[in-house]
Amino acid sequence: MIIKTDKIDHINIFSIQGRLDSNSSGDLERQLISLIDQGETHFILDFSALEYISSAGLRVLLQAAKKLNAIHGKMTLCSVRSEVKQVFDIAGLTSIFSMFNDPNSAVKALM
Amino acid sequence: MDIKTKISIINQIPEIEKVCDSVSAFGEENGLSTKIIFAFHLALDEILTNIISYGYRDKDEHVIDINLSLQAGALALEILDDSVPFDPSEAPVPDINQPLEERKIGGLGIYLVKNLMDEVEYKSKDGINRLTLKKKF
Repeated sequence: MIIKTDKIDHINIFSIQGRLDSNSSGDLERQLISLIDQGETHFILDFSALEYISSAGLRVLLQAAKKLNAIHGKMTLCSVRSEVKQVFDIAGLTSIFSMFNDPNSAVKALM
Repeated sequence: MDIKTKISIINQIPEIEKVCDSVSAFGEENGLSTKIIFAFHLALDEILTNIISYGYRDKDEHVIDINLSLQAGALALEILDDSVPFDPSEAPVPDINQPLEERKIGGLGIYLVKNLMDEVEYKSKDGINRLTLKKKF
């Protein structure tokens, strides 16, 4: 898994490439949670190159969402592939994470 | 006739990737859809992570065997291991309708497997766990 990070105004954009599983979720956890702990409140996770997610990945996202919720922060997802989207559907997470078709729409929503 | 393949790994997390690679190769050789391969990657990842992380009381090396078989209209997978018996049907079912504040962050793995597969069958005999997963296509 490769994580590319970017920032537009106050919005942190994480582009995640490859597989978010038990082997790699620790990397995302370290990067995402440490930014939240530093006071960052707005995040977009660009999943256009995310091929796969397991429960270990969902765990990190839920952990981040809970932290952000407590400080009135926001996290949205964009460009989620259909197989990955299916995992969110089954886990009942589509009501918790808003999803946009492309990064621009996600940025507009968080501005 | 069924087409079969067998993969053996030891109880180390990085070994899971080898199994997933073998499933991808098997899937490509037999023209299986990305959706089927994705479902089996996820099931293997969840089940093997549980076995390797929580299933052994010692620190010894253990072998886990994985059998794949392409049947008429379905892909079946069997995981055989000598870890602590664990029947996935007895795993607690997460409440996926809870609001974010109340949701637990874990416990989704087995739930995902049960939902992605058409059949999940567990048997334990003579110290060997045999978990069979099947998905129709």
